[in-house]
Amino acid sequence: MSITRRDFMKSTVAASAAAAVGIPISQIAKAEVAEAEKDWQWDKAVCRFCGVGCGIMCATKDGRIVATKGDPDAPVNRGLNCIKGYFNGKILYGKDRLTQPLMRMTDGKFDKQGKFAPVTWDQAFDEMEKQFRRAHGELGPAGVSIIGSGQYTVQEGYVAAKFMKAGVRSNNIDPNARHCMASAVAAFIQTFGIDEPSGNYDDIEYTDTAVLWGANMAECHPILWSRITDRKLSHPDMKLVNLSTFGNMSSSVADLEIIFKPNTDLAIQNYIAREIVHRDAVNWDFVNKHCVFATGPYDIGYGMRNTDKFAHDAEKDIQAKENAVVLDEAEAVAQRRKAGETVEQKNAGGAGKHWQISYDDFKTAVEPYTLDFVAELSKGDPDESLDDFKVKLKQLADWFIDDQRKLVSFWTMGFNQHQRGTWVNEQCYMNHLLLGKQAQPGNGAFSLTGQPSACGTAREVGTFAHRLPADMVVANPKHRERSEKLWKLPAKTINPKVGSHIVKIMRDLEDGNIKFAWVQVNNPFQATANANHWIEAARKSDNFIVCSDPYPTVSAKVADLILPSAMIFEKWGAYGNAERRTQMWREQVPPPGQARSDVWQVLEFSKRFTVKDFWGEQKLPGLKADGFEDGKLPDVIAAARDMGYSPDDNMYKVLFATPANTKVAWPDPVAKGHDNHTVVALGENWFPEKALFEEYAEFGRGHEHDLAPFDVYYRDDVRGLKWPVVDGKETPWRFNGEYDPYVPKGEKFAFYGKALKAIPKGNLDGVTDPNKTAHTDKAKIFFRPYAAPVEQPDKNYDLWYCTGRVLEHWHTGTMTRRVPELHRAVPTATLFMHPADAQSRNMQRKDVVWIESRRGKIKAVLETQGRDRMPKGYVFLPFFDEGVFANKIALDATCPISKETDYKKCAVKVYKA
Amino acid sequence: MGGAVAPPMQRNMTDKSRRDFLQKSAQGMAVAATGGLIWSFLVRQEAKANPAAIRPPGALVEADFNATCIKCGQCVRACPYDTLDLATAGQDIPIGTPYFFPRDIPCYMCPDIPCKVACPTGALRADLSDIADSRMGLAVIDMENCLSWQGLRCEVCHRECPLRDKAIGIETHPRQISKHAMFVPIVHSDACTGCGICEKACPTEKAAIRVVPAELVQGKIGEHYRLGWKIDTPITQEFKPADDRPAAQDDAAPGEAPGLDYLNEGSF
Repeated sequence: MSITRRDFMKSTVAASAAAAVGIPISQIAKAEVAEAEKDWQWDKAVCRFCGVGCGIMCATKDGRIVATKGDPDAPVNRGLNCIKGYFNGKILYGKDRLTQPLMRMTDGKFDKQGKFAPVTWDQAFDEMEKQFRRAHGELGPAGVSIIGSGQYTVQEGYVAAKFMKAGVRSNNIDPNARHCMASAVAAFIQTFGIDEPSGNYDDIEYTDTAVLWGANMAECHPILWSRITDRKLSHPDMKLVNLSTFGNMSSSVADLEIIFKPNTDLAIQNYIAREIVHRDAVNWDFVNKHCVFATGPYDIGYGMRNTDKFAHDAEKDIQAKENAVVLDEAEAVAQRRKAGETVEQKNAGGAGKHWQISYDDFKTAVEPYTLDFVAELSKGDPDESLDDFKVKLKQLADWFIDDQRKLVSFWTMGFNQHQRGTWVNEQCYMNHLLLGKQAQPGNGAFSLTGQPSACGTAREVGTFAHRLPADMVVANPKHRERSEKLWKLPAKTINPKVGSHIVKIMRDLEDGNIKFAWVQVNNPFQATANANHWIEAARKSDNFIVCSDPYPTVSAKVADLILPSAMIFEKWGAYGNAERRTQMWREQVPPPGQARSDVWQVLEFSKRFTVKDFWGEQKLPGLKADGFEDGKLPDVIAAARDMGYSPDDNMYKVLFATPANTKVAWPDPVAKGHDNHTVVALGENWFPEKALFEEYAEFGRGHEHDLAPFDVYYRDDVRGLKWPVVDGKETPWRFNGEYDPYVPKGEKFAFYGKALKAIPKGNLDGVTDPNKTAHTDKAKIFFRPYAAPVEQPDKNYDLWYCTGRVLEHWHTGTMTRRVPELHRAVPTATLFMHPADAQSRNMQRKDVVWIESRRGKIKAVLETQGRDRMPKGYVFLPFFDEGVFANKIALDATCPISKETDYKKCAVKVYKA
Repeated sequence: MGGAVAPPMQRNMTDKSRRDFLQKSAQGMAVAATGGLIWSFLVRQEAKANPAAIRPPGALVEADFNATCIKCGQCVRACPYDTLDLATAGQDIPIGTPYFFPRDIPCYMCPDIPCKVACPTGALRADLSDIADSRMGLAVIDMENCLSWQGLRCEVCHRECPLRDKAIGIETHPRQISKHAMFVPIVHSDACTGCGICEKACPTEKAAIRVVPAELVQGKIGEHYRLGWKIDTPITQEFKPADDRPAAQDDAAPGEAPGLDYLNEGSF
């Protein structure tokens, strides 16, 4: 680019003026293109990394990505990227990119104890089919599984889910998004009856208060952080609060930094609620019209195993708490019980049930959460004075309650990866709903997402063990019926029993209840807490693990068969970000060697199974559902024959290459000359990504989840659209009559989600009237109490341990660590600790130290300065680095409702190596 | 699990052999330097010493350092990170003296400063007790090529700086063309040690932040001026006249009053 500094200044001013009147920036900044770049071809795409969903542009030449840029017209990022996004063009070109299937072999045959050797796709699928049939034959549909992803494209998630749920009749498909968003999902469903946020990113520019609850946006949502910071710079009264368990990068711009003890966010939320009640600040107009009060059981366990059969000795004391807990002083006050009381965790299996309570009950419940009680309980920095901390809590409550002040709460993993993740999400809605600060521009509780398509794929497509597309669930007979109709399946094909969530898939591998697992677009053996157990289970048991990945990851190393996958710009796809924006891209470059898209892998594998393989009677231990014989899925082959299927029809034809889908022809003008290696590899002339998207979209159209036609997303003037897209218009704020076509005419608000609307009546102790009342169009204001973390520092393991991200690396680092510049910038994960804690252990920064928990020990380099500022008694370790395996020592406790792992709190000791 | 990427650099994982070799060859040069021809060669080298050499922590000012360093290589041997090298012939650095290139391996700022401890002559000041007080150089930012200065959310240098917010801070500015703020890194010379971790970490193709000797780049404002918003010096409430006031110039000789030359000479 030859552009002088003065030209740049001029174009900046011009662009600024243009932006003010709504002209696309790209039309203003017309820099002179160098001769060498004249044959570069640019196309729009999406950033591969986080849930923000920045638009990018890709330049290709001779089948390679030669450059990328932030898309100046993308409303999310306006041409900017973070330092990961800056390297989108390089993630494809790591030196150890996998280009052919690799299988563990001895003497030319598969051997679980053998060494990896290259095989053909046919050999790979032959062994995979054999092993799948073995597990399926022995254990039925519950014995096979897919570990999916919040980084699946929409189409990848859809084909994987349809293959499992409609074909195999197994609900054992669950994404890594379980580790990421499940608590947010459970709270959305319980509170609103429908998933995903009501607002959008423009809330940032409309609000005057942003409260971060366990969201280090400065590092984990970098471009949104630019918007929040800009709001702060340009709006003098904008206030920013950072609630965290340690001083992170987001504190730098904050007006108020509140460092609290793990799990006490539950208490802080109730303190705010109590203040709202005591200051008579409830917005009764809003609450009476649009809300009901509710609560649920407290004795719900911690999502751990309820048996010590597999626990190592050191793990047994914590595991025992899954069954019974002795209440500590604070819990006793918070739950109006007696300290020292032993509470059997009787509702561990029914953690999600809830019932309506009265406002008086709600008032009684929040009454113990006084400023004195909550401040004493929650102050997280031993060096801060209690009085200073109280002033901060009070300031937070003041800003919440100020009726002149708009307020947005943002959160991610601090709330979601939480032993009471669903509760703490619901508490956030509690305060926003009490104040009527929800579903309006600048007002709302906004759950940020972690992964690029956790919303668009994992949640909307429903690649979870309990879900179907468009917020439907397998346990609901009407949802199964509608899905069977759309999928043209015989009645009772879909399995009504919720499958194994991702943590349970790991436990099932250990138990021998699952013997086939196919890992797609994620790295679960590095990312799942208490990893030693699962790696051992995978390697030592009689199971078969397939790992589809572009790179040799920890999970690939653990697997028996590795399938080389195409990466983002090597295939057609769609992602949906945190503000319900669906964005699509074309295949830009071909995948290397024999690497293939995940869509192709599932479609090709499905050709190997027929109707009679899956649709006969199947054993399903534990199945109990209306209309089903206990423990069995019925034979539907006869019904299938009536629908025109032959028992010998293969699943590819039944599920994917249907008559309707094969009419969607490839080539298609929307491609504008771009290739589709999936079609070529299939040897077909239909367009799977388009046909399957349209098929999937039918689930949501007219059902509050409307997506636009496929081709619309590829228009040059479209930069993604926020669903529901009704009559060609996106929906910026849901549940708000001014913006949302699904709100009945004349209504200001309607929380119209349909799930879990009918609930029984009760009080704080339980259900008093089991008859259910439907609260149509209403949201629930939940009371949820403080509960102590199941594992806390003690004399032996004397430090809190927390894992998380850094800006420079994505998740387990499998892509970003292969970008030399990012690897150089942050080559290894270091353990952050308070300098006084290091000193008292005779350690200093840069020492190599052991970090040991009940579950194992790992080595890391100690850091007491720099990026994170730890309070005494608390350490933080990023999880991107497989050389410093953070999740080996993390505890696999989960929220009992959402089943999402709490990666943010367990106990460790640290000593010099 | 061994990965495809290099293992983390750890202080007990260094390979000494390369360093030993370099060190011996440099020592050999120093010993040989007692001979005539090579001696003069070395003197010439010293005379042309590159003022851009980045020295280990606690190094005396360049001239004193070159005079005091006996080129023994003890500091190189003591460094657990392989950061230091001894200059060899052909480099613009006096042969045998220690230096480092931060883009290759920066100084990781060991709290116990083993290089300084190993120095037998005080070329690396023995009284340096806190590594944060060392001044190996000063980081400077090329604003035109720094991604953060363009608005991208990079700021790797800031997050990786061991003295974050002290040596490298972030200033936020509105970006004129959209609703995003810019986060621009600013180096503070009062705290920057010149360790070069920022230069090593900078993800641009050529580092947009580099460590150079402070005297090459650092300006200085006049002693006669103070930045009013930076130093709070309130109006003195009880003014004390100076004891030693200049005498009044009543006795100036006629014709010697300042300014007369200008006033009286020349024409309009």
